[in-house]
Amino acid sequence: MMDELEMLKKDWQSKVEQLPKLTYEEIYSMIWKKSSSIVKWIFIISVLEFIIPHLLYLIPSARDGMDFYDGLHLKKLIIGLTIIQYSVVIYFIYQFYMRYKEISALDSAKELMRKIIRTRKTVKNYIIFALSIFLVTFLLMAIGIYLNDSDTIISVLGLQAKSQELSNSNIKAIFIVVLIAFGIVCTAVLGLVYFLIYGLLLRKLEKNYSELERLEV
Amino acid sequence: MEHKFVTELENNQNIVHKVCSLYTNNRDAHNDLFQEITIQLWKAYPKFRGEAKFSTWMYRVALNTAITLYRKSKKRVQTQDVDSVIFKIKTDEYDDTQEQQLKLLYGAVKQLGDIDKALVFLYLEDKNYTEIADTLGISEVNARVKMNRIKSKLKTILNP
Repeated sequence: MMDELEMLKKDWQSKVEQLPKLTYEEIYSMIWKKSSSIVKWIFIISVLEFIIPHLLYLIPSARDGMDFYDGLHLKKLIIGLTIIQYSVVIYFIYQFYMRYKEISALDSAKELMRKIIRTRKTVKNYIIFALSIFLVTFLLMAIGIYLNDSDTIISVLGLQAKSQELSNSNIKAIFIVVLIAFGIVCTAVLGLVYFLIYGLLLRKLEKNYSELERLEV
Repeated sequence: MEHKFVTELENNQNIVHKVCSLYTNNRDAHNDLFQEITIQLWKAYPKFRGEAKFSTWMYRVALNTAITLYRKSKKRVQTQDVDSVIFKIKTDEYDDTQEQQLKLLYGAVKQLGDIDKALVFLYLEDKNYTEIADTLGISEVNARVKMNRIKSKLKTILNP
């Protein structure tokens, strides 16, 4: 193997002339282009994720959602939860930004890996938080239905016409079950989306990290 | 500052091209990675204080970018076909056994993991173990051990 590698080394070094040659201008224009590194994308996606759902509030039907919470006497709770959610999400975006700033190709590979693990941890915590807050919102709605009397729920949901067919306690039970089931399904779907977006971005980092880890054993 | 940086990079661009040819399989990906490395070098340049040689510093940034920060393009075709800029060997040279063997060797190196590739690259660049260890931020002993493992890995790939 030794001789073969020596042969490869000789050949490798003789191939320098075959390498492409970029001009000063070509390189100069390159330094102003945007980077597409993995950590930068994590940061960009987290910001987009924060902004896009808020565009939904510009649609009138989404604004009606607040009336629904109001009817269930949950308005204050939901507003409180939203404030907490916003602060934590902003905190995470800041964290992603810090990770992005912190990761510099100047570090040794090992140091870089350590920072990448930190990035992964931040992403993981962020996903756990986002999914829990999503599920908690559904649970709160279910609790709201449980605590209110059936007449309020019927009027909030505009179901007066259909209510004769079902007994009041049944309506409550059905709504709670449907809401919780819906909440779980939505959380699972969201989880899958997160898994796809961030999972794919982090896969290469993970593979190289474990490779480097083996190197240190 | 830009002028100085671009001039130095222009003079040392071979290093980046060589890293690109090792980590990518076609010209598009080669250019992508070259650009990403250039951006990372430029980003890190203010922190480069001339303690090391510009080229030594370039090895580290270029390899780190290839290993960790570079997002491979989606249409990554995992072919064993070695078709990068530097490894292209004309088919009419097939009868030459040495050329044939080199082609196989390059193919085997391409199959290694990203970090193994970095070690082989520095080895091919005629760096000693101290320099290899320093560039990758591992100990010299580890670099030696790893290189020995890579040699046996290459042997297995070549003689399955």
